[in-house]
Amino acid sequence: MREKLLILSVFIVASCGLAYELIAAALASYLMGDSVLQFSSIIGCYLFAMGIGSHLSKYVPEARTLDRFIEIELLVGLIGGLSATMLFVVFAWAAAPFRSVLYVLVFLTGTLVGMEIPLVMRELNQRKTDFAELVSRVLTFDYMGALAVSLLFPLVLAPHLGLARSALLFGLVNVGIALFTTKIFRNELAHAKLHLLRGGVVAFVLLGAMLGADKLTKWSENTLYGDEIIHAQTTPYQRLLITQWKNDTRLYINGNLQFSSRDEYRYHEALVHPVLEKLPQAKSVLVLGGGDGLAVREILKYPHIEHITLVDLDPAMTDLFTHNEKLVGFNQRALSNPKVKVVNADAAQWIEQNQQIFDAIIIDFPDPSNFALGKLYSVPMYRLVKKHLSENGLMVVQSTSPLHAPRSYWCINETLKDVGLYTTPYHAFVPSFGEWGFILAGKQSGYTPPTTYRVKTKFLDGETTRQMFFFPPDMQPVKVEANRLNNQSLVHYFEQDWSQVIR
Amino acid sequence: MRGISRRQFLQSAAALGLAATLPACRELSHYGIAIKVYLPGMQMGHALRGNTPMPNPKYERKVKVAILGSGAAGSFAAWRLKKSGAFGHDEVVIVSGPERFGNAAAGVMNGVGYPQGAHYLPLPSMASVHVRELLFEMGVIEADPFGEKPTYNERVLVHSPEDRLLINGHWQEGVVPHTGLNAEELAQQQRFFAQMQSMQHAVGNDGRKAFCIPIAQASQDAQWRSLDQMTFAAWLAQHGYTAPSLLWYLDYACRDDYGIGIKETSAWAGIHYFAARGGQAANASEGAVLTWPTGLNPLLQHLQQGQSLLEGMAVRIREQGDTVQVDVLHHGEVTRLITEHVICAMPLHVAAKIIDLSQYGFNPAQHLAPHAAWQVSNFLLKRFPDEAEHAPTQAGPQAMHDYATPLAWDNVVYSSQSLGYVNSTHQLIRAAKPANTVFTAYHAFDNEAPAAIRARLEHASAAELYHTSLADLGGVYGWDNPITARRYIEQVEITLRGHAMASPIAGFLNNPGVAALQKQSGRLLFAHSDLSGLSVFEEASWWGDVAAQKILAQR
Repeated sequence: MREKLLILSVFIVASCGLAYELIAAALASYLMGDSVLQFSSIIGCYLFAMGIGSHLSKYVPEARTLDRFIEIELLVGLIGGLSATMLFVVFAWAAAPFRSVLYVLVFLTGTLVGMEIPLVMRELNQRKTDFAELVSRVLTFDYMGALAVSLLFPLVLAPHLGLARSALLFGLVNVGIALFTTKIFRNELAHAKLHLLRGGVVAFVLLGAMLGADKLTKWSENTLYGDEIIHAQTTPYQRLLITQWKNDTRLYINGNLQFSSRDEYRYHEALVHPVLEKLPQAKSVLVLGGGDGLAVREILKYPHIEHITLVDLDPAMTDLFTHNEKLVGFNQRALSNPKVKVVNADAAQWIEQNQQIFDAIIIDFPDPSNFALGKLYSVPMYRLVKKHLSENGLMVVQSTSPLHAPRSYWCINETLKDVGLYTTPYHAFVPSFGEWGFILAGKQSGYTPPTTYRVKTKFLDGETTRQMFFFPPDMQPVKVEANRLNNQSLVHYFEQDWSQVIR
Repeated sequence: MRGISRRQFLQSAAALGLAATLPACRELSHYGIAIKVYLPGMQMGHALRGNTPMPNPKYERKVKVAILGSGAAGSFAAWRLKKSGAFGHDEVVIVSGPERFGNAAAGVMNGVGYPQGAHYLPLPSMASVHVRELLFEMGVIEADPFGEKPTYNERVLVHSPEDRLLINGHWQEGVVPHTGLNAEELAQQQRFFAQMQSMQHAVGNDGRKAFCIPIAQASQDAQWRSLDQMTFAAWLAQHGYTAPSLLWYLDYACRDDYGIGIKETSAWAGIHYFAARGGQAANASEGAVLTWPTGLNPLLQHLQQGQSLLEGMAVRIREQGDTVQVDVLHHGEVTRLITEHVICAMPLHVAAKIIDLSQYGFNPAQHLAPHAAWQVSNFLLKRFPDEAEHAPTQAGPQAMHDYATPLAWDNVVYSSQSLGYVNSTHQLIRAAKPANTVFTAYHAFDNEAPAAIRARLEHASAAELYHTSLADLGGVYGWDNPITARRYIEQVEITLRGHAMASPIAGFLNNPGVAALQKQSGRLLFAHSDLSGLSVFEEASWWGDVAAQKILAQR
């Protein structure tokens, strides 16, 4: 019976051991990128440390194997359990020693875990178990434990608990094994009471850390992904990362903030309503980019809109915002609405090959930070878009910040004017972005901003709208050239603008 | 007369037929990377070498004009005839030749189009009226087609970043070397470009421009034409141009346009490269070029639109009374065209095989210009390679900025003997980088005798050809290591052009044989860039235009 319990502990100990290794590797990939390098170097370091642990196990006197096993379980639980939390905090504090701390932690955990199995085997050996039987059973359960956690971690734990709390959970399991073993074998142990006391302290620390994980991660709020990562995915096109801290859910694409659930309504109301409020007859809307469905949510507020076509490159993105329970809460299941047609295609290619005409076009592309993206804001691109806009229709373009990137902002305005569109620039304050700019355009002149809204809005009313269309002295137009493909002036403006902001 | 047996006859006919059926293509592999090698025109061309008897004509077709060759010259002639409205649809026929579109051929791999030959057209000069006319019809010129500065369609003007040069381990913008050079070198460069600028306006004693595209409209003034008597290298030395960076650049330019270096290029042709164009645009800087993902192919596609095309290769031309008979071989069968006019729009070395050119004043042994051999290598990539990073000079916006030098359309390596590579998806507007792209690497075999090169290339191993194709890419991306290369390269297609272009060596302007062919006015006319002695679209299309106008005048 007792032997069976020891074998069971092998299963659990092996699971925990692999879990720490996976958590460290995943965390390193998240924070430092280059997942192949991180995974192989961490697994290598960990296995090597386990070898050293196995070697060290021979110095444990025969009479004390069980005591040492329990002490090691407690230590593994403490160090391994806190490892991810410690790494987050260290990363937030300074990037330089992060790598050193990472490998020290991996090495320590590996060494301790490396001692576990030899100690259990010796303990069983002392109990006169047949050697062949012993090796077979211990290693079988060792490997089964590894399989269990290697499936559990990516499918259940990492997505639901996050890295820090998964590690803490495994730490608690290690402590649990230590306490359990102490209880069963208390008659054979030299310091059973001391073990129980220590176990209690470690469990208390880990539980405390688990409850306080939110508070701890607040420390690292200023770093890029300090908040807990609730979803991370690398698609063929981009890296999607969703973080959460309290009631603030954020989406990052390739490290750039796309929205914060706290203030995205400001951005999306400002993007959509100045256009649609003025088009009471509109039936069809085209959205380019905006796979999060938040702009579509705003569009669906108008019952007279019959068709919305959303063209977004990445099926992973639109799937996520169609099916993820948490995220569809933000867009109110907009992407599942029967009026909405989601097209996963390159927006520029789609618009080249499609002939449909729309009453409103909402363009929410990434900022023009490189030559490829700059083309999406060029004269020929807007010429193509114009062909899809009805005679009395309106379009709007997300246009960077008129405060922080004035040349870029007015360049987009100039480019839209170049293709013969009448433009009306405006801006809105979105706390997580800063002062953000939009340009509304149409084939007819004489657009006037709405003074009231037919639909329910949180941010927009007559007064905020008036302010949005008013440009104070520090946001006055600057003289810039239109963005042409053969000079790509916008990309140069954008680079200059932001280099001055950062300094 | 030596008789041939029926069996021999059948064998040779079968050989010819086979040659016409299969595009000369070899499939090879190197470290598991599939390499396809095309040798357009080679088998058919070589089949014409021996006096192989032809099968008897199986079909006969009467047309008014037969245009033999579907490259730039032939296509332009067909377009001009069609535009004139003088002929019915089936009265003009283009005979494709062994490779449709010739040097403007293009291919598609995984949905990505790419050039198999020429890849760009400079803004046309004021004198290239015929080219402007075509571009205006195509919508490439949007306004003021014949003015000083036409407005061009931005989609076709090469997008920024246009070109870059890898020099001393770093990429610089532009192909003229400037980074890390001393003041003396830069001063020489400036002096050279200023001198070329002034040559642009040079006028001969006949009132014509000294350097002009088309060459046919350049001045006949002996004083200017005497520049043709020396090599470009000699002229440069004479004028004190010694800066290595300048000499490399000029050598690169000559190899890129003429397939030969400055040591062989005629000084007149060398200066012509810089002084003859000067095309400008209302919406682009001087020196801008026009390009399409498939190189110049769309120009020829447009020219051939709605034309009647006959596949095959002319193997025999005979003038007979009021008609000309042209035998066209295709899949081992001969179609005899009975026609009133023929435009022989094929390279002169091929024309010399099927017709006795000496009756028109052209003696092949004496008058054929040397032809440079080219290798055009197209790499279908699974993904874009990482570009080398450069040190951040300033903080960029958030994490948006990477410090890699962006891939340009044309990418050249300083002091390389090859000609760099072009990214075929550069002109696309896309929200994301396309999943696949094609890099086209160009190489002109300029430092071996052309005939020796051709003999070597015909039997070159996969490794040899692949090695040449990687001359620049290998160093830039570490693809010399096959393991690295396989991570990026899906497949390679190599087009070997044994006779890619006529090379304007010193003395090329003074070619009485070519002059005689230019002046033909009978039923058989010639049109090819070989008549200019250098291979560019403007020249080829010029001779196509001239031939078509002669036919229209005859009627």
